[in-house]
Amino acid sequence: VFPAGFGSLMQDVLWCFSQVKGTIDSGVTEADIISTVEFNHTGELLATGDKGGRVVIFQREQESKNQPHRRGEYNVYSTFQSHEPEFDYLKSLEIEEKINKIRWLPQQNAAYFLLSTNDKTVKLWKVSERDKRPEGYNLKDEEGRLRDPSMITVLRVPVLRPMDLMVEATPRRVFANAHTYHINSISVNSDYETYMSADDLRINLWNFEITNQSFSILCIMQMLCPRSFLWCQDRVARHWPEIRELQPQLTLGLVLSSCTVFEEPEDPSNRSFFSEIISSISDVKFSHSGRYIMTRDYLTVKVWDLNMENRPIETYQVHDYLRSKLCSLYENDCIFDKFECVWNGSDSVIMTGSYNNFFRMFDRSTKRDVTLEASRESSKPRAVLKPRRVCLGGKRRKDEISVDSLDFSKKILHTAWHPSENIIAVAATNNLYIFQDKVN
Amino acid sequence: MEFKLEAHRIVSISLGKIYSARGQRGGLKLHKNLLVSLVLRSARQVYLSEPGCPPEPPPAAAGPPEEEPPPRTAAWAAEEPPPPPQDEAGRDCQGPRPRRCCCGESRGGCAGAPPPPHCPRKRSAGERGQTGSPVKKPRREEEEPPPPPPPSPPGEQEDMETGNVASLISIFGSSFSGLLSKEPKGRRRPPLDGGEAAAGTAPAEAAAEPGQICCDEPVLRTLNPWSTAIVAF
Repeated sequence: VFPAGFGSLMQDVLWCFSQVKGTIDSGVTEADIISTVEFNHTGELLATGDKGGRVVIFQREQESKNQPHRRGEYNVYSTFQSHEPEFDYLKSLEIEEKINKIRWLPQQNAAYFLLSTNDKTVKLWKVSERDKRPEGYNLKDEEGRLRDPSMITVLRVPVLRPMDLMVEATPRRVFANAHTYHINSISVNSDYETYMSADDLRINLWNFEITNQSFSILCIMQMLCPRSFLWCQDRVARHWPEIRELQPQLTLGLVLSSCTVFEEPEDPSNRSFFSEIISSISDVKFSHSGRYIMTRDYLTVKVWDLNMENRPIETYQVHDYLRSKLCSLYENDCIFDKFECVWNGSDSVIMTGSYNNFFRMFDRSTKRDVTLEASRESSKPRAVLKPRRVCLGGKRRKDEISVDSLDFSKKILHTAWHPSENIIAVAATNNLYIFQDKVN
Repeated sequence: MEFKLEAHRIVSISLGKIYSARGQRGGLKLHKNLLVSLVLRSARQVYLSEPGCPPEPPPAAAGPPEEEPPPRTAAWAAEEPPPPPQDEAGRDCQGPRPRRCCCGESRGGCAGAPPPPHCPRKRSAGERGQTGSPVKKPRREEEEPPPPPPPSPPGEQEDMETGNVASLISIFGSSFSGLLSKEPKGRRRPPLDGGEAAAGTAPAEAAAEPGQICCDEPVLRTLNPWSTAIVAF
C-alpha cells in the first residue's frame, strides 16, 4: 500500500466534495475574494489570502478513528490582517492591501512562519500557539491592572496555567520599499535564509534577518523582445528552489550568465493581435522532483524539461475554444486573467483553473484529462464530482455547456494541491472548495 | 476592409484601457499596460496598412469632439520611419502586415500623392521629438530611459523600438502621475473643450515632468477622436 497521491493515475481517482469555506450569499464583497492559496510543506496547514489583506489559515484535524470517512477536515486555525491599504503620497497612488502571494517556510520549531506580500511590501509572520498563561504576577492583578506597590507584602513566583488554545500571529519582519512596480511573486531559497521577491522588472534577493537592504539580482530595462523577456523574468522569478550557493555578493552579471531562456518558437499560423498576450506566462512551477518546469499561459499549460529550452515536452490545451473569442476577452479584460497551475505530489498530474468555476486536471502519463466544477450544487458531503464538458458547437448534448453560456466572472485562478495526498483546494472567487479523493 | 474595422475597434478598446488604467486603484499595472500598448501598436499598423483609409474614423465611444488638426494624427501615423528590409524579419512583435504608408509608398512621406488627411507622414518620430516639444527630460529614477534618439538611420530602428518601450515603462511606472503636473490625482481635467484648449499646451507645460514627452510619442498619438481624450489626462 502506498500513500494516496503517489503514482495513482487520474482515472483511478474519484474526486469528492469535502468542504467549502466562505459565505453563500449571492453578493460578493470584494474584500473577500481569495487571491492566493497555499498548503504548507506537510499539508497540515492551508493558507489563503484575500483582497482585503487578510490571511486565513486552516489546520487539518487529526483523523479520528470514530469517523474514518471524514479524512481530516480543515478548520480555521488563525485569521489575521496581514496588510492594510496604504497611500503613496509621492505618486498619489493607493497601494492595495490585496495579498498576492503566501509562501510557507518549513517548520523548524513549534511556530509556523510564512511570508505574505501585497504589491509593495513583504512580511514575515510568525504563527504560534499559546496554551498556557502566567498567573500570579506581583505587580499586576488578574485583570492586568497595576497594583499599588506599597500594598504588596508578599512576593510570589508566577506560574503557568493551562488556558484555551490561542493562536497568535505576529509580524516578525517587514520588507518594504524595494519595488517600484507591483510585486507578483516571492520564492524562498532552499537554504531558508534568503528569499526573492519579484515585480515586473526587478528581482530582489533578501536575507530574512535584514529588512533595510536587499540585493537587486535582476533588473530588466531593455525589452529585447516582449516574449523572451517575459519568459526569462518569469522563469527566474517564480521559483528558484535549486539555488544552493547563493552568496550575498551576487552580481548582476553572475546571474545573467546562468539564466536560461525557455522559449518556444511562435506558430505563425496562429498569429493574431493578441498573440503576445496569450503567450504571456501567468504562472511557473517547478516539479517536486526539480526536473521539470510547468508554465501556464492563457490557453495552455506546458511542461518543460530543464535541459531543453527550445520547446516544451508537453503541451495541454486548457480551453482552446476561447481562441476564437480573444477579441471579446480582450475587451472585457479576461484575457489578462492570470491563472495558476500546480503539480500533484508525485508530479504525475497537473491542475489549473478555467472559467465558469471549472478546473482541469491532466494526467501526464495517460494523457487523459478531466474538467471538474467547483459549485454549490455539487457541494453535498462526499458527493463525487461529475466531469463537465464544454460543447464546441453544433449539437449540444445533455450535460454539456456551450461556450457562450460560460460565466466568465467565475474564474478559478488559484488552486493548491496537498504535497502528498489527493486533497486539493480550489478558490472560486470568495469561496474555498476542498476536494478529496474518495475513500472506500 | 473588415480587418480594418477590427483593427479600428481594437485601437479604440486599447486606448480606452490605457485611459481607464490611470484611475484604477492600486496604481497602473505595468505588464498589462505594456501588453495593451503592443496590441495597440499592432492594430494601428494593420489599420494604416490596409488599403483605403477612410476620410475620418467614426466617432469614438469615448466621445470627445474631433477637433484635432490632421497634422497631429499624421505625426502619430508616422511614428516610425519606414522600415528597411532587414527590420521586417526581426519584427515578430509587430502586426502581421509589413508597415507601409497607406498610399502604397514604402519610403518616406507621401508628399507626392494626395493622401487622406490623417495618413500622410509629415514627420518622422525622431524629428517630431525634436520639434515642438523638448525631448530632454530630467532623469529622476535610475530606470528612466534616455530620450528617443534623433532621426535615425534604418539600422537604429531596433533601438528606437526599445526606446519607445522603455518610454512606455516610464510612463506606466509613474502611473501617468507626471501628466497631472499641476493637479492632484483624482481631479479631472477641465471638460472636453477646455481640454482641447489645454491640449495644445499640455505637452509644453508637462515637459518638465519625466515621461511627459513620451506621451506625445507612439502610444498616445492616435486617430482623431482619441488623441483629445488621451491628452486630456
